[in-house]
Amino acid sequence: MARSNAALPVPADTPAVSPEVQEGLARNAISFPDGIPGFEACRRFVLLTSDAMAPLQRIESIEGPPAAFLGIDPRLLLEGYRCALTETDLRALGADGDSTLLWFAIISEVDGVLSANLRAPIVINPQRMIGRQVLPDDGLYPIRHVLTTKA
Amino acid sequence: MLVFTRRRQEAIRIGDRIEVRVLRVGRDGVRIGITAPPDVPVHREEIYEEIREANRAAVAPQVDLSALAERLRQP
Repeated sequence: MARSNAALPVPADTPAVSPEVQEGLARNAISFPDGIPGFEACRRFVLLTSDAMAPLQRIESIEGPPAAFLGIDPRLLLEGYRCALTETDLRALGADGDSTLLWFAIISEVDGVLSANLRAPIVINPQRMIGRQVLPDDGLYPIRHVLTTKA
Repeated sequence: MLVFTRRRQEAIRIGDRIEVRVLRVGRDGVRIGITAPPDVPVHREEIYEEIREANRAAVAPQVDLSALAERLRQP
């Protein structure tokens, strides 16, 4: 899995990376066949982790417009968290019931308040390197699960 | 925009794989059934828009990463 230092945010106009790094990113690319809402043109992302930022993770677009998201496994935020996946989701992910999936709740900062989107998590099937954002029709979990207010 | 008048239980077909059927017509709303293959995502517009807005607001958040990580590591 690709690793990065913990620096955030990365400016949108980050200079181009070397061919070696690009090749490494491409090897770790996770394909998002439908993009994600608002970033429909971003079809390939990499998941970045590091000990320094754990349990936080980053997802970064490596194709199309630059987009970087901070996130966390929603199951670490809410005990018993269980977002149902539809047949459509599982099929799109190339996953069967036994697949180990990675879960990523997008963290946002709005007016100094940090929250995680538990309603619509990004789900990744690491076996197939396919991801998608799940959009449940129910409102079981909040879009803004408050993590902490900014000091 | 194509505009149709449909009565209860009448449908519209989009291509050969998608059917939009009017199930019930009430005073304040219309109940619609969509039949589509699994690879066609179907969402209420407001849900999609809500998530789209949330995603846009979440790009490159201004976060003290190490402080947040530290906090989240606490049980």
